[in-house]
Amino acid sequence: MTRLDELLAYEVVEGLTEGQFTAEDYVTTILKRIEKVEPKVHSFITLDTDGALSSAKIIDKKLKEKEAIGQLAGVIVGIKDNISTQGIRTTCASKILENYVPTYDATVIKSLKESGAILLGKLNLDEFGMGSTTEYSRYQPTRNPWNLDCVPGGSSGGSGAAVAAGECTIALGSDTGGSIRCPSSFCSVIGLKPTYGRVSRYGLISYANSLEQIGPICRSVRDLVIMLNIISGKDTFDNTSMPSNPISIPKRLNKLNVGIIKELITGSDQEVTKSVYFASEKFKEIGCPCEEVSIKNLHYALPSYYTLASAEASSNLARYDNLRYGFDYSIGEYKWDTYFSNVRENFGEEVKRRILIGSYVLSSGYYGKYYLKARRLRSLLRLELLELFKKYDLLIGPTMPILPFKFGEKIDDPIKMYLVDINTVIANLAGIPAISLPIGFSNGLPIGLQLMAAPFGEQKLIDASYELEKIINIPRRPNSI
Amino acid sequence: MISKEELEHLAQISRINLTDHELQKFPTQLEKTIEYIDILEQLASDDSVTLDLQELKFEELRKDEIKVSDEKQLCKNITEDGFLRGPKMK
Repeated sequence: MTRLDELLAYEVVEGLTEGQFTAEDYVTTILKRIEKVEPKVHSFITLDTDGALSSAKIIDKKLKEKEAIGQLAGVIVGIKDNISTQGIRTTCASKILENYVPTYDATVIKSLKESGAILLGKLNLDEFGMGSTTEYSRYQPTRNPWNLDCVPGGSSGGSGAAVAAGECTIALGSDTGGSIRCPSSFCSVIGLKPTYGRVSRYGLISYANSLEQIGPICRSVRDLVIMLNIISGKDTFDNTSMPSNPISIPKRLNKLNVGIIKELITGSDQEVTKSVYFASEKFKEIGCPCEEVSIKNLHYALPSYYTLASAEASSNLARYDNLRYGFDYSIGEYKWDTYFSNVRENFGEEVKRRILIGSYVLSSGYYGKYYLKARRLRSLLRLELLELFKKYDLLIGPTMPILPFKFGEKIDDPIKMYLVDINTVIANLAGIPAISLPIGFSNGLPIGLQLMAAPFGEQKLIDASYELEKIINIPRRPNSI
Repeated sequence: MISKEELEHLAQISRINLTDHELQKFPTQLEKTIEYIDILEQLASDDSVTLDLQELKFEELRKDEIKVSDEKQLCKNITEDGFLRGPKMK
Protein backbone atom coordinates (compact mmCIF):
# COMPACT_ATOMS: atom_id res chain seq x y z
CA MET A 1 0.00 0.00 0.00
CA THR A 2 1.16 3.54 -0.77
CA ARG A 3 2.44 5.37 2.30
CA LEU A 4 0.02 7.96 3.63
CA ASP A 5 2.43 10.82 2.95
CA GLU A 6 2.76 9.80 -0.70
CA LEU A 7 -0.95 9.96 -1.51
CA LEU A 8 -2.21 12.23 -4.26
CA ALA A 9 -5.02 14.67 -3.48
CA TYR A 10 -7.82 12.60 -5.01
CA GLU A 11 -6.52 9.50 -3.21
CA VAL A 12 -6.67 11.38 0.11
CA VAL A 13 -10.33 12.25 -0.49
CA GLU A 14 -11.10 8.64 -1.51
CA GLY A 15 -9.27 7.23 1.52
CA LEU A 16 -11.13 9.50 3.91
CA THR A 17 -14.51 8.83 2.35
CA GLU A 18 -13.92 5.08 2.50
CA GLY A 19 -12.83 5.36 6.12
CA GLN A 20 -9.30 4.00 5.51
CA PHE A 21 -7.85 6.73 7.72
CA THR A 22 -8.97 9.96 9.38
CA ALA A 23 -8.07 13.51 8.40
CA GLU A 24 -6.25 13.80 11.71
CA ASP A 25 -4.14 10.70 10.86
CA TYR A 26 -3.25 12.27 7.56
CA VAL A 27 -2.31 15.67 9.00
CA THR A 28 -0.22 13.99 11.70
CA THR A 29 1.61 11.93 9.07
CA ILE A 30 2.40 14.99 6.98
CA LEU A 31 3.57 16.87 10.08
CA LYS A 32 5.98 14.00 10.80
CA ARG A 33 7.21 14.18 7.23
CA ILE A 34 7.77 17.93 7.66
CA GLU A 35 9.67 17.35 10.87
CA LYS A 36 11.97 15.03 8.98
CA VAL A 37 12.59 16.94 5.75
CA GLU A 38 11.99 20.61 6.56
CA PRO A 39 15.37 21.14 8.27
CA LYS A 40 16.97 20.20 4.95
CA VAL A 41 14.53 21.74 2.46
CA HIS A 42 13.24 24.95 4.16
CA SER A 43 10.00 25.21 2.17
CA PHE A 44 7.92 26.98 4.78
CA ILE A 45 8.04 30.49 6.20
CA THR A 46 5.08 29.98 8.56
CA LEU A 47 3.45 26.73 9.70
CA ASP A 48 -0.08 26.72 11.11
CA THR A 49 -0.02 23.33 12.81
CA ASP A 50 -2.86 24.08 15.24
CA GLY A 51 -5.07 25.45 12.48
CA ALA A 52 -4.44 22.36 10.33
CA LEU A 53 -5.22 19.96 13.17
CA SER A 54 -8.45 21.72 14.10
CA SER A 55 -9.56 21.79 10.42
CA ALA A 56 -8.87 18.04 10.30
CA LYS A 57 -11.04 17.45 13.36
CA ILE A 58 -13.93 19.33 11.73
CA ILE A 59 -13.67 17.12 8.64
CA ASP A 60 -13.53 13.94 10.76
CA LYS A 61 -16.64 15.07 12.63
CA LYS A 62 -18.46 15.70 9.35
CA LEU A 63 -17.46 12.25 8.08
CA LYS A 64 -18.60 10.62 11.29
CA GLU A 65 -21.95 12.34 11.10
CA LYS A 66 -22.23 11.45 7.41
CA GLU A 67 -22.35 15.08 6.34
CA ALA A 68 -21.25 16.11 2.86
CA ILE A 69 -17.56 16.96 2.49
CA GLY A 70 -15.90 19.10 -0.16
CA GLN A 71 -13.89 18.04 -3.20
CA LEU A 72 -10.60 18.66 -1.45
CA ALA A 73 -11.67 17.56 2.03
CA GLY A 74 -8.63 16.64 4.08
CA VAL A 75 -6.17 17.54 1.35
CA ILE A 76 -3.23 19.53 2.70
CA VAL A 77 -2.50 22.67 0.75
CA GLY A 78 0.58 24.87 1.07
CA ILE A 79 0.18 28.51 0.10
CA LYS A 80 2.81 30.76 -1.43
CA ASP A 81 3.43 33.51 1.08
CA ASN A 82 2.30 36.33 -1.22
CA ILE A 83 -1.34 35.17 -1.09
CA SER A 84 -3.37 36.75 1.72
CA THR A 85 -4.60 34.44 4.46
CA GLN A 86 -6.81 35.88 7.18
CA GLY A 87 -5.14 35.65 10.57
CA ILE A 88 -1.97 34.02 9.20
CA ARG A 89 1.10 36.18 8.70
CA THR A 90 1.79 36.91 5.02
CA THR A 91 5.32 38.17 4.49
CA CYS A 92 6.06 37.98 0.73
CA ALA A 93 9.43 36.75 2.07
CA SER A 94 10.18 40.40 2.79
CA LYS A 95 11.43 42.15 5.87
CA ILE A 96 9.00 44.95 4.96
CA LEU A 97 5.97 42.70 5.67
CA GLU A 98 7.53 40.74 8.51
CA ASN A 99 4.62 41.41 10.89
CA TYR A 100 1.77 41.72 8.41
CA VAL A 101 -1.30 39.65 9.25
CA PRO A 102 -4.03 40.03 6.59
CA THR A 103 -7.53 40.74 7.81
CA TYR A 104 -9.13 38.92 4.88
CA ASP A 105 -8.69 35.81 2.73
CA ALA A 106 -7.76 35.98 -0.95
CA THR A 107 -10.62 34.68 -3.13
CA VAL A 108 -8.63 31.52 -3.95
CA ILE A 109 -8.17 30.85 -0.22
CA LYS A 110 -11.90 31.28 0.40
CA SER A 111 -12.62 28.79 -2.40
CA LEU A 112 -10.09 26.29 -1.05
CA LYS A 113 -11.55 26.50 2.46
CA GLU A 114 -15.05 25.96 1.09
CA SER A 115 -13.82 22.84 -0.69
CA GLY A 116 -12.59 21.39 2.62
CA ALA A 117 -8.86 21.84 1.96
CA ILE A 118 -6.63 22.07 5.01
CA LEU A 119 -4.27 25.05 4.95
CA LEU A 120 -1.03 24.03 6.55
CA GLY A 121 1.14 27.09 6.12
CA LYS A 122 2.87 29.66 4.01
CA LEU A 123 5.59 28.76 1.56
CA ASN A 124 8.85 30.45 0.72
CA LEU A 125 9.49 32.60 -2.36
CA ASP A 126 11.88 35.19 -3.71
CA GLU A 127 11.00 38.50 -2.06
CA PHE A 128 7.71 39.75 -3.60
CA GLY A 129 8.06 37.05 -6.28
CA MET A 130 11.13 38.66 -7.84
CA GLY A 131 13.60 35.92 -8.65
CA SER A 132 14.07 32.43 -10.03
CA THR A 133 15.78 30.59 -7.17
CA THR A 134 14.37 31.66 -3.73
CA GLU A 135 17.85 33.01 -2.98
CA TYR A 136 16.23 36.45 -2.78
CA SER A 137 13.98 35.39 0.10
CA ARG A 138 14.73 37.52 3.16
CA TYR A 139 14.41 34.44 5.35
CA GLN A 140 16.45 31.57 3.94
CA PRO A 141 16.65 29.92 0.54
CA THR A 142 14.65 26.75 -0.13
CA ARG A 143 16.68 23.75 -1.30
CA ASN A 144 15.86 21.44 -4.17
CA PRO A 145 14.61 18.11 -2.75
CA TRP A 146 16.25 16.25 -5.68
CA ASN A 147 19.65 17.73 -4.93
CA LEU A 148 20.03 19.86 -1.84
CA ASP A 149 23.01 21.75 -3.34
CA CYS A 150 20.80 23.08 -6.14
CA VAL A 151 18.16 25.80 -6.26
CA PRO A 152 14.51 24.69 -6.40
CA GLY A 153 13.66 27.40 -8.95
CA GLY A 154 11.47 30.37 -8.19
CA SER A 155 9.88 32.41 -7.33
CA SER A 156 7.37 29.81 -6.01
CA GLY A 157 10.34 27.66 -4.91
CA GLY A 158 8.80 26.80 -1.55
CA SER A 159 5.65 25.55 -3.30
CA GLY A 160 7.57 23.40 -5.80
CA ALA A 161 9.89 21.93 -3.18
CA ALA A 162 7.14 21.27 -0.60
CA VAL A 163 5.03 19.33 -3.11
CA ALA A 164 8.04 17.34 -4.37
CA ALA A 165 9.23 16.58 -0.84
CA GLY A 166 5.76 15.47 0.32
CA GLU A 167 5.36 18.29 2.84
CA CYS A 168 1.89 19.05 1.47
CA THR A 169 -0.43 17.32 -0.99
CA ILE A 170 -0.69 20.26 -3.35
CA ALA A 171 0.30 23.91 -3.33
CA LEU A 172 -0.64 27.28 -4.73
CA GLY A 173 1.95 29.41 -6.45
CA SER A 174 1.81 32.60 -8.47
CA ASP A 175 3.38 33.19 -11.86
CA THR A 176 4.44 36.61 -13.14
CA GLY A 177 7.15 35.51 -15.58
CA GLY A 178 7.45 31.77 -14.90
CA SER A 179 7.29 31.60 -11.12
CA ILE A 180 5.05 28.50 -11.07
CA ARG A 181 6.57 26.72 -14.05
CA CYS A 182 10.24 27.26 -13.17
CA PRO A 183 10.09 25.54 -9.74
CA SER A 184 7.74 22.88 -11.18
CA SER A 185 10.38 22.07 -13.77
CA PHE A 186 13.30 22.15 -11.31
CA CYS A 187 11.44 20.05 -8.69
CA SER A 188 9.81 17.57 -11.11
CA VAL A 189 6.20 18.44 -10.31
CA ILE A 190 3.33 19.74 -12.45
CA GLY A 191 2.55 23.45 -12.43
CA LEU A 192 0.07 25.51 -14.38
CA LYS A 193 -0.06 29.21 -15.10
CA PRO A 194 -3.69 29.77 -16.06
CA THR A 195 -4.95 32.14 -18.77
CA TYR A 196 -4.85 35.72 -17.50
CA GLY A 197 -8.30 36.23 -15.99
CA ARG A 198 -9.20 32.59 -15.26
CA VAL A 199 -8.29 32.86 -11.59
CA SER A 200 -9.05 35.83 -9.35
CA ARG A 201 -6.02 37.81 -8.19
CA TYR A 202 -7.94 39.35 -5.28
CA GLY A 203 -5.69 38.92 -2.26
CA LEU A 204 -2.56 38.16 -4.28
CA ILE A 205 -0.06 40.79 -3.20
CA SER A 206 0.75 42.59 -6.43
CA TYR A 207 4.13 42.66 -8.07
CA ALA A 208 3.21 43.12 -11.77
CA ASN A 209 -0.54 42.74 -11.92
CA SER A 210 -0.98 42.82 -15.70
CA LEU A 211 1.16 39.68 -15.96
CA GLU A 212 0.46 37.50 -12.94
CA GLN A 213 -1.89 34.66 -12.15
CA ILE A 214 -2.29 32.28 -9.22
CA GLY A 215 -2.06 28.60 -10.16
CA PRO A 216 -1.74 25.06 -8.81
CA ILE A 217 1.39 22.95 -8.28
CA CYS A 218 0.67 19.23 -7.95
CA ARG A 219 2.05 15.71 -8.35
CA SER A 220 -0.61 14.50 -10.79
CA VAL A 221 -2.65 15.96 -13.64
CA ARG A 222 -5.85 14.74 -11.97
CA ASP A 223 -5.07 16.76 -8.84
CA LEU A 224 -4.29 19.78 -10.96
CA VAL A 225 -7.69 19.60 -12.66
CA ILE A 226 -9.55 19.44 -9.33
CA MET A 227 -7.58 22.34 -7.91
CA LEU A 228 -7.89 24.49 -11.05
CA ASN A 229 -11.67 24.08 -11.18
CA ILE A 230 -11.96 25.12 -7.55
CA ILE A 231 -9.96 28.34 -7.90
CA SER A 232 -11.26 29.42 -11.36
CA GLY A 233 -14.11 31.82 -11.98
CA LYS A 234 -15.35 35.37 -12.21
CA ASP A 235 -14.84 37.33 -9.01
CA THR A 236 -16.47 40.70 -8.40
CA PHE A 237 -13.35 41.75 -6.49
CA ASP A 238 -11.09 41.30 -9.52
CA ASN A 239 -12.41 42.96 -12.64
CA THR A 240 -9.87 41.23 -14.85
CA SER A 241 -11.27 37.82 -13.88
CA MET A 242 -13.58 36.09 -16.29
CA PRO A 243 -16.00 33.15 -16.26
CA SER A 244 -14.60 29.93 -17.76
CA ASN A 245 -15.73 26.41 -18.52
CA PRO A 246 -14.71 23.70 -16.05
CA ILE A 247 -11.85 21.43 -17.11
CA SER A 248 -12.24 17.66 -17.14
CA ILE A 249 -10.04 14.58 -17.34
CA PRO A 250 -10.22 13.43 -20.97
CA LYS A 251 -11.87 10.10 -21.79
CA ARG A 252 -9.79 9.80 -24.94
CA LEU A 253 -7.33 12.06 -26.70
CA ASN A 254 -8.33 13.77 -29.91
CA LYS A 255 -5.55 14.53 -32.37
CA LEU A 256 -3.68 17.70 -31.44
CA ASN A 257 -1.30 19.58 -33.74
CA VAL A 258 1.89 20.44 -31.91
CA GLY A 259 4.41 23.14 -32.78
CA ILE A 260 7.90 22.92 -31.29
CA ILE A 261 9.26 26.42 -30.82
CA LYS A 262 12.61 26.38 -32.63
CA GLU A 263 14.11 29.36 -30.80
CA LEU A 264 13.52 27.72 -27.42
CA ILE A 265 15.34 24.58 -28.47
CA THR A 266 18.40 26.25 -29.92
CA GLY A 267 19.04 28.30 -26.80
CA SER A 268 18.88 25.36 -24.39
CA ASP A 269 21.35 22.95 -22.80
CA GLN A 270 21.92 19.79 -24.80
CA GLU A 271 20.34 17.53 -22.18
CA VAL A 272 17.25 19.71 -22.06
CA THR A 273 16.95 19.75 -25.85
CA LYS A 274 17.20 15.96 -25.94
CA SER A 275 14.27 15.68 -23.55
CA VAL A 276 12.10 17.91 -25.73
CA TYR A 277 12.79 15.71 -28.75
CA PHE A 278 11.99 12.69 -26.59
CA ALA A 279 8.67 14.39 -25.76
CA SER A 280 7.97 15.04 -29.43
CA GLU A 281 8.43 11.30 -30.09
CA LYS A 282 5.93 10.59 -27.32
CA PHE A 283 3.48 13.05 -28.87
CA LYS A 284 3.75 11.17 -32.13
CA GLU A 285 3.09 7.90 -30.25
CA ILE A 286 -0.20 9.29 -28.98
CA GLY A 287 -1.17 10.40 -32.47
CA CYS A 288 -0.23 14.08 -32.30
CA PRO A 289 1.95 15.32 -35.18
CA CYS A 290 4.81 17.69 -34.28
CA GLU A 291 6.70 20.17 -36.40
CA GLU A 292 9.06 23.04 -35.70
CA VAL A 293 7.74 26.59 -35.71
CA SER A 294 9.34 29.97 -35.29
CA ILE A 295 8.20 32.99 -33.27
CA LYS A 296 9.42 36.13 -35.00
CA ASN A 297 9.16 38.51 -32.05
CA LEU A 298 10.61 36.15 -29.47
CA HIS A 299 13.96 37.87 -28.94
CA TYR A 300 12.14 41.00 -27.77
CA ALA A 301 10.10 39.10 -25.19
CA LEU A 302 12.49 39.06 -22.24
CA PRO A 303 13.55 42.73 -22.44
CA SER A 304 9.88 43.68 -22.75
CA TYR A 305 9.00 41.53 -19.80
CA TYR A 306 11.63 43.09 -17.55
CA THR A 307 10.61 46.58 -18.65
CA LEU A 308 6.93 46.02 -17.90
CA ALA A 309 7.41 43.98 -14.74
CA SER A 310 9.83 46.52 -13.25
CA ALA A 311 7.59 49.44 -14.20
CA GLU A 312 4.60 47.82 -12.52
CA ALA A 313 6.71 46.80 -9.52
CA SER A 314 7.95 50.34 -8.93
CA SER A 315 4.35 51.52 -8.85
CA ASN A 316 2.88 48.59 -6.86
CA LEU A 317 5.58 48.61 -4.21
CA ALA A 318 5.22 52.35 -3.63
CA ARG A 319 2.54 51.45 -1.06
CA TYR A 320 5.08 50.09 1.42
CA ASP A 321 5.47 53.15 3.61
CA ASN A 322 5.27 51.17 6.87
CA LEU A 323 2.25 53.15 8.04
CA ARG A 324 -0.61 50.94 6.96
CA TYR A 325 1.24 47.65 7.19
CA GLY A 326 4.80 46.77 7.80
CA PHE A 327 7.37 45.85 10.36
CA ASP A 328 8.74 47.24 13.57
CA TYR A 329 10.40 50.54 12.63
CA SER A 330 9.70 53.42 14.94
CA ILE A 331 8.64 56.76 13.50
CA GLY A 332 10.70 58.46 16.19
CA GLU A 333 11.73 61.97 15.20
CA TYR A 334 12.06 61.19 11.49
CA LYS A 335 10.76 63.70 8.95
CA TRP A 336 8.25 62.67 6.28
CA ASP A 337 10.73 61.97 3.43
CA THR A 338 13.55 60.57 5.50
CA TYR A 339 11.27 58.11 7.25
CA PHE A 340 9.99 56.46 4.05
CA SER A 341 13.41 56.23 2.44
CA ASN A 342 14.85 54.75 5.64
CA VAL A 343 12.06 52.21 5.98
CA ARG A 344 12.33 51.19 2.35
CA GLU A 345 16.06 50.63 2.68
CA ASN A 346 14.87 47.30 4.11
CA PHE A 347 13.80 45.95 0.75
CA GLY A 348 16.22 43.33 -0.53
CA GLU A 349 18.72 44.09 -3.29
CA GLU A 350 16.75 42.53 -6.14
CA VAL A 351 13.56 44.34 -5.19
CA LYS A 352 15.48 47.62 -5.05
CA ARG A 353 17.07 46.97 -8.44
CA ARG A 354 13.67 46.35 -10.02
CA ILE A 355 12.07 49.39 -8.40
CA LEU A 356 14.96 51.56 -9.65
CA ILE A 357 14.76 50.14 -13.18
CA GLY A 358 11.00 50.67 -13.06
CA SER A 359 11.45 54.30 -12.07
CA TYR A 360 14.00 54.66 -14.87
CA VAL A 361 11.83 53.25 -17.68
CA LEU A 362 8.87 55.32 -16.54
CA SER A 363 10.82 58.61 -16.37
CA SER A 364 10.03 61.24 -18.96
CA GLY A 365 12.43 60.83 -21.84
CA TYR A 366 12.60 57.07 -21.43
CA TYR A 367 8.91 56.24 -21.28
CA GLY A 368 8.52 56.13 -25.06
CA LYS A 369 11.87 54.43 -25.57
CA TYR A 370 11.23 51.53 -23.22
CA TYR A 371 7.79 51.29 -21.63
CA LEU A 372 5.64 52.04 -24.66
CA LYS A 373 7.80 49.86 -26.91
CA ALA A 374 7.51 47.01 -24.45
CA ARG A 375 3.74 47.32 -24.42
CA ARG A 376 3.65 47.41 -28.18
CA LEU A 377 5.80 44.28 -28.36
CA ARG A 378 3.42 42.62 -25.98
CA SER A 379 0.50 43.19 -28.37
CA LEU A 380 2.54 42.05 -31.37
CA LEU A 381 3.60 38.87 -29.58
CA ARG A 382 0.05 38.06 -28.56
CA LEU A 383 -1.23 38.61 -32.10
CA GLU A 384 1.56 36.45 -33.52
CA LEU A 385 0.77 33.64 -31.08
CA LEU A 386 -2.98 33.84 -31.74
CA GLU A 387 -2.18 33.42 -35.42
CA LEU A 388 -0.03 30.34 -34.66
CA PHE A 389 -2.81 28.85 -32.53
CA LYS A 390 -5.05 28.83 -35.60
CA LYS A 391 -2.77 26.11 -36.95
CA TYR A 392 -1.42 24.48 -33.81
CA ASP A 393 -3.31 23.33 -30.73
CA LEU A 394 -0.18 23.41 -28.59
CA LEU A 395 3.19 25.09 -28.71
CA ILE A 396 5.91 23.29 -26.79
CA GLY A 397 9.49 23.76 -25.67
CA PRO A 398 11.60 23.28 -22.57
CA THR A 399 10.22 25.04 -19.49
CA MET A 400 13.72 26.04 -18.44
CA PRO A 401 16.66 26.32 -20.84
CA ILE A 402 19.02 24.84 -18.25
CA LEU A 403 19.10 22.25 -15.46
CA PRO A 404 18.71 23.25 -11.80
CA PHE A 405 21.96 25.00 -10.85
CA LYS A 406 23.99 25.44 -7.69
CA PHE A 407 23.32 28.14 -5.09
CA GLY A 408 25.25 31.36 -5.66
CA GLU A 409 25.95 30.59 -9.32
CA LYS A 410 24.00 33.54 -10.73
CA ILE A 411 23.20 35.68 -7.73
CA ASP A 412 25.67 38.47 -8.50
CA ASP A 413 24.79 38.81 -12.15
CA PRO A 414 21.19 39.99 -12.60
CA ILE A 415 21.22 39.51 -16.39
CA LYS A 416 22.36 35.89 -16.08
CA MET A 417 19.55 35.35 -13.60
CA TYR A 418 16.96 37.06 -15.83
CA LEU A 419 17.95 34.94 -18.83
CA VAL A 420 16.67 31.74 -17.20
CA ASP A 421 13.12 33.14 -17.59
CA ILE A 422 13.44 33.45 -21.35
CA ASN A 423 11.08 30.53 -22.16
CA THR A 424 8.41 31.27 -19.61
CA VAL A 425 7.75 35.02 -19.95
CA ILE A 426 6.07 34.49 -23.35
CA ALA A 427 2.90 33.12 -21.75
CA ASN A 428 2.68 35.99 -19.24
CA LEU A 429 3.14 38.67 -21.89
CA ALA A 430 0.52 37.05 -24.13
CA GLY A 431 -1.84 36.14 -21.28
CA ILE A 432 -2.05 32.52 -22.46
CA PRO A 433 -2.09 29.34 -20.32
CA ALA A 434 1.07 27.26 -19.94
CA ILE A 435 1.89 24.09 -18.03
CA SER A 436 5.19 22.52 -16.99
CA LEU A 437 5.23 18.74 -17.00
CA PRO A 438 8.09 16.52 -15.75
CA ILE A 439 9.69 14.92 -18.78
CA GLY A 440 12.96 13.39 -17.59
CA PHE A 441 16.16 13.67 -15.59
CA SER A 442 19.80 14.35 -16.34
CA ASN A 443 22.34 13.39 -13.67
CA GLY A 444 19.51 13.19 -11.16
CA LEU A 445 18.28 16.70 -11.99
CA PRO A 446 14.71 17.20 -13.26
CA ILE A 447 13.74 18.55 -16.69
CA GLY A 448 10.33 20.02 -17.49
CA LEU A 449 8.40 20.32 -20.73
CA GLN A 450 6.37 23.46 -21.29
CA LEU A 451 3.09 23.32 -23.20
CA MET A 452 1.24 26.48 -24.18
CA ALA A 453 -2.25 26.90 -25.63
CA ALA A 454 -4.55 29.68 -26.83
CA PRO A 455 -6.34 31.82 -24.22
CA PHE A 456 -8.69 29.64 -22.14
CA GLY A 457 -7.27 26.55 -23.88
CA GLU A 458 -6.43 24.82 -20.58
CA GLN A 459 -8.46 21.77 -21.60
CA LYS A 460 -6.01 21.04 -24.43
CA LEU A 461 -3.06 21.38 -22.04
CA ILE A 462 -4.73 18.91 -19.70
CA ASP A 463 -5.68 16.48 -22.50
CA ALA A 464 -2.08 16.25 -23.67
CA SER A 465 -0.51 16.28 -20.19
CA TYR A 466 -2.80 13.50 -18.96
CA GLU A 467 -1.82 11.24 -21.87
CA LEU A 468 1.90 12.03 -21.58
CA GLU A 469 1.81 11.47 -17.80
CA LYS A 470 0.44 7.97 -18.45
CA ILE A 471 3.22 6.94 -20.83
CA ILE A 472 6.22 8.76 -19.36
CA ASN A 473 7.28 7.11 -16.15
CA ILE A 474 8.88 9.71 -13.89
CA PRO A 475 9.92 8.99 -10.30
CA ARG A 476 7.69 11.07 -8.05
CA ARG A 477 9.62 11.20 -4.81
CA PRO A 478 13.30 12.08 -4.38
CA ASN A 479 15.32 9.46 -2.52
CA SER A 480 17.88 11.89 -1.19
CA ILE A 481 15.69 13.17 1.66
CA MET B 1 27.38 53.98 -17.37
CA ILE B 2 24.77 55.16 -14.91
CA SER B 3 26.41 57.91 -12.91
CA LYS B 4 26.35 58.05 -9.14
CA GLU B 5 24.18 61.19 -9.39
CA GLU B 6 21.69 59.44 -11.68
CA LEU B 7 21.48 56.51 -9.31
CA GLU B 8 20.96 58.80 -6.33
CA HIS B 9 18.21 60.61 -8.23
CA LEU B 10 16.46 57.32 -9.08
CA ALA B 11 16.75 56.25 -5.45
CA GLN B 12 15.35 59.57 -4.29
CA ILE B 13 12.29 59.47 -6.55
CA SER B 14 11.73 55.84 -5.54
CA ARG B 15 12.06 56.78 -1.84
CA ILE B 16 14.72 54.17 -1.19
CA ASN B 17 17.95 54.61 0.70
CA LEU B 18 20.79 52.58 -0.73
CA THR B 19 23.55 51.06 1.37
CA ASP B 20 27.19 51.88 0.57
CA HIS B 21 27.57 48.39 -0.88
CA GLU B 22 24.58 48.93 -3.19
CA LEU B 23 25.80 52.39 -4.22
CA GLN B 24 28.98 50.70 -5.33
CA LYS B 25 27.63 47.73 -7.24
CA PHE B 26 24.27 48.98 -8.59
CA PRO B 27 25.62 51.36 -11.31
CA THR B 28 27.24 48.51 -13.26
CA GLN B 29 24.36 46.09 -12.66
CA LEU B 30 21.67 48.58 -13.67
CA GLU B 31 23.72 49.67 -16.67
CA LYS B 32 23.89 46.06 -17.87
CA THR B 33 20.13 45.68 -17.47
CA ILE B 34 19.47 48.88 -19.39
CA GLU B 35 21.86 47.79 -22.14
CA TYR B 36 19.90 44.55 -22.33
CA ILE B 37 16.50 46.23 -22.69
CA ASP B 38 17.97 48.68 -25.23
CA ILE B 39 17.25 46.03 -27.87
CA LEU B 40 13.66 47.33 -27.75
CA GLU B 41 14.89 50.33 -29.72
CA GLN B 42 15.22 48.11 -32.76
CA LEU B 43 11.51 47.41 -32.64
CA ALA B 44 9.90 49.53 -35.34
CA SER B 45 7.83 52.27 -33.77
CA ASP B 46 4.51 51.30 -35.30
CA ASP B 47 1.93 53.50 -33.62
CA SER B 48 -0.89 51.61 -35.27
CA VAL B 49 -0.30 48.65 -32.96
CA THR B 50 -2.84 48.72 -30.21
CA LEU B 51 -1.51 48.74 -26.66
CA ASP B 52 -4.42 47.05 -24.95
CA LEU B 53 -5.78 43.84 -26.34
CA GLN B 54 -8.07 43.12 -23.44
CA GLU B 55 -10.55 45.86 -22.79
CA LEU B 56 -12.70 46.25 -19.74
CA LYS B 57 -16.12 47.75 -20.36
CA PHE B 58 -17.60 50.28 -17.96
CA GLU B 59 -20.79 48.19 -17.61
CA GLU B 60 -18.69 45.31 -16.31
CA LEU B 61 -17.52 47.22 -13.26
CA ARG B 62 -19.20 46.29 -10.01
CA LYS B 63 -21.63 48.72 -8.45
CA ASP B 64 -20.13 51.31 -6.15
CA GLU B 65 -21.96 50.26 -3.02
CA ILE B 66 -21.05 50.91 0.58
CA LYS B 67 -20.58 47.79 2.67
CA VAL B 68 -20.02 47.92 6.39
CA SER B 69 -16.69 46.45 7.44
CA ASP B 70 -15.50 45.30 10.80
CA GLU B 71 -13.50 48.36 11.81
CA LYS B 72 -11.56 46.53 14.48
CA GLN B 73 -10.45 43.88 11.99
CA LEU B 74 -9.56 46.44 9.35
CA CYS B 75 -7.42 48.54 11.66
CA LYS B 76 -5.57 45.63 13.21
CA ASN B 77 -2.33 46.32 11.38
CA ILE B 78 -2.34 50.06 11.30
CA THR B 79 -3.45 51.97 14.31
CA GLU B 80 -2.31 53.10 17.67
CA ASP B 81 -5.32 53.90 19.85
CA GLY B 82 -7.54 54.18 16.79
CA PHE B 83 -5.24 56.59 14.94
CA LEU B 84 -2.96 56.12 11.96
CA ARG B 85 0.35 57.62 12.97
CA GLY B 86 2.72 59.13 10.41
CA PRO B 87 6.01 61.04 10.49
CA LYS B 88 6.12 64.84 10.73
CA MET B 89 5.57 66.72 7.49
CA LYS B 90 8.37 69.21 8.20
